[in-house]
Amino acid sequence: MSSRYLGNKIAQALITIFIVLCINFFLFRIMPGDPLSMLMRNPRASQQAIQKAKEFYGLDQSLPVQFGRYLQDLLKLDFGVSFMFKKPVTEVIGGKVGPTLLLLGVSEIMAIVLGIYLGIVAASHRGKIVDIGTISVSLLLYSLPTFLLGMVLILIFSVYWGLFPSTGMVTAAARYATLWRQFLDLLSHLFLPAITLALTLIGEYGMLMRSSLLEVLSEDFIVTARAKGLREREVIRKHGYPNALLPVVTAISINLGLTIAGAIQVETVFSWPGIGRLMYDALNNRDYPLLQGIFLLVCICVIVANLFSDLLYMVLDPRVKS
Amino acid sequence: MFVSPSFRISKKLGLILLIALLAVSAFSTVLKVGWTVEPDSVSPFIAYNLPAAEVFLLLYDPLVALNDQEEPAGKIAETWELSEDQLTWTFNLHEGIRWHDGEPLTAEDVKFTYELFINTGLGLFSGFLNGIESIECPDDFTVMIHTAEPKANMLMGNTPILPKHIWETVAEEDLELWENEPAVGSGAFAFLEWRKGEYLRLKANADYFFDKPKVEEVVFILFANNDTLAQALKTGEISAAVNINPMQLPQLSQSPNLLAVSSPGYGFTQLAFNCWESEDSKGHPALLDKRIRQAIDWALDKQAILDMTYLGQGEVGTTLIPPILQKWHYKPGDSELRVYNPEKANALLDAAGYLMGNRKIRVDSQGNELNFRLYLRSSNTQEIKAGQMIKKYLQAVGIEVSIETVDDGLLMDLIYADAEFDMFIWGWGTDVDPTTILNVMSTNEIFGLSDCFYSNEEYDRLLSLQASQMDVTQRQETVFAMQRILYEDSPYAILFYDNEFQAVRTDLFSGWKRIPEKGAFFFTINANNYVTVTPK
Repeated sequence: MSSRYLGNKIAQALITIFIVLCINFFLFRIMPGDPLSMLMRNPRASQQAIQKAKEFYGLDQSLPVQFGRYLQDLLKLDFGVSFMFKKPVTEVIGGKVGPTLLLLGVSEIMAIVLGIYLGIVAASHRGKIVDIGTISVSLLLYSLPTFLLGMVLILIFSVYWGLFPSTGMVTAAARYATLWRQFLDLLSHLFLPAITLALTLIGEYGMLMRSSLLEVLSEDFIVTARAKGLREREVIRKHGYPNALLPVVTAISINLGLTIAGAIQVETVFSWPGIGRLMYDALNNRDYPLLQGIFLLVCICVIVANLFSDLLYMVLDPRVKS
Repeated sequence: MFVSPSFRISKKLGLILLIALLAVSAFSTVLKVGWTVEPDSVSPFIAYNLPAAEVFLLLYDPLVALNDQEEPAGKIAETWELSEDQLTWTFNLHEGIRWHDGEPLTAEDVKFTYELFINTGLGLFSGFLNGIESIECPDDFTVMIHTAEPKANMLMGNTPILPKHIWETVAEEDLELWENEPAVGSGAFAFLEWRKGEYLRLKANADYFFDKPKVEEVVFILFANNDTLAQALKTGEISAAVNINPMQLPQLSQSPNLLAVSSPGYGFTQLAFNCWESEDSKGHPALLDKRIRQAIDWALDKQAILDMTYLGQGEVGTTLIPPILQKWHYKPGDSELRVYNPEKANALLDAAGYLMGNRKIRVDSQGNELNFRLYLRSSNTQEIKAGQMIKKYLQAVGIEVSIETVDDGLLMDLIYADAEFDMFIWGWGTDVDPTTILNVMSTNEIFGLSDCFYSNEEYDRLLSLQASQMDVTQRQETVFAMQRILYEDSPYAILFYDNEFQAVRTDLFSGWKRIPEKGAFFFTINANNYVTVTPK
């Protein structure tokens, strides 16, 4: 049974990816404006040079032919050549995926652990001062614009206390005595953006966990558990928390996929060289191949995260298997 | 129970990070400059933006550069003379200049570079070489340039001299795809590393023929927004910043370790009108009447717009050449000058046959409304603010404006491909020599650089006249006359001459110099600050 369930899910994911591929391809091409005018800024560019550039980027063919070629190349994992960088898209994106994953990975882990913990604390003290405090802080963090939070943290940690750098991923042009030093430099640059992103997510996850747990705690089986004489701690740990986790897992895994693109604000405030900023630049420059590559990546991330959450459900919720 | 161990860990971690930070920030012989726009390329045939022009000043040297007073000063050329008929220039080059790769620089490089720019017409510099007929090299260190007419701007172009032995391997039709990385020049700094979207590193040229730089490296760091620029300057992550948010200037000027300047720049921001008198024009026909364009100029309180968008940092705009170019800027007399006056605007619109209609929008006798599309660039918040204010001012005199915010690329298409616009806002940067910016308004440049499709025969005649006037006073008169024509015809309502907002750390480096006297440190007429600035 479970292998069929898995097979279905994977087939669905593949179909979704194909549909997204098609939309990506045509969406950018119906956007107003001609990419060549960005490529060839010179109004006096010779016809020869324009023709050469068109051929180089495959823009000399009709749309269906371009699409066919695009699909063919994709099978060979060739995403085309970026207009802006004049390098293969895989190479351009490859250079930016690392920083984004690092930033997201660190902040998501912090946010998941702390968010869920806060949610449990709040729910188990419902109506008390701890709960009210947690809700207020979570709401504040959740609703705070990321760039504002980032600026405030820069002001406090970089400008007033001088503890952490405010821009970039490494100190530009630094020479490191040891690999360890280089690692510490990276860590100090990572600190503020990761905290910023984590704080906004903590609020979100905390609120989610709290409301989910509260809902579970009002179920009949919880009453039963309490009637059995279990202590409140045990009730939450054994019966409440595992059940409350299910909707939170879904929300977090969808979020995981989306934050790849959503880190754009943090990346902008801290000049972090990641995918979010790359996407923004690519959009401004009408860099079709690069845009397609990034959108495909984001879409795959969302789909994989969804698939992952489905699989996780199988582990967490025995009912799904049947 | 939960709290205390993790707190101890984070405290320790903080300490380690602090030590790491101190260890890294010890290299002060590297001049770090924060900017918000990076070059579009390091190939002079591909690049069109100002950061690229700035980098070319460091990587390459021209035959003749400009000194801090905007006067020609020998660089690769030690001396030069002009023949009596004013048609042949002879440049005597320094012997012993070498390219960054060690090859000697000779007259052949100069000839090759100029001819390549002239033949292809590509890049920022080819326009400066207009009028050159032929180039010869009688020996390795002499270049003779023949022109058809006397060429007034021969020494003003800053055209980078490129190494023939590298560029001759690139086919001409490949030039626009050839990225020139790593760039090899003969300038004060050599190309080291460019991580696009992060930073560009240049290394001091240890064998530089002229005064060597006092710093080991210049690193340009790209900031994704200009708010953090000021913060990074305060923390010392960078030692200099260009394009600071003007709102942060007052605060920055209070710091004793900083020198923050708001200085007149080489450029302006304009409201441009579609003046194309052709069947194919997709602009509003009413804008072909200069009275309507003048009326719009009368209707705008430019000072208020400047105050709102740039905290008043800058100067209200009038004529085409900005006042920092004292020699060439034409200041309209009191009788010509248009200063905010809605009554005058109303009177002109009445006279043009557009009377106030029922919807408080003016209409002509056929019932055509004065209703213009105004394109604004989404990337520029100041221009968007200005556009919204302009809409209000024009509404007050019965002109309806519909604002459309677009990205730069789309606006370029709308303007240069189809002339499909009524009005838009953007700006131009100017050179020390007036020819380039004057040329933008010539008939020849329609479907070239012209963004308002303006055409005036007398203007075109004066344009070629001034290019050949070797006498400064005579040339000045011609250039003034041209600006007078433009101000009267008003194809642009020049909103303001923008200031440059820059700041530098005086505790880390000494020797900062504003160029020219009241100018900025960077993005000016030469690269002297990069060379003379000394680490403390």
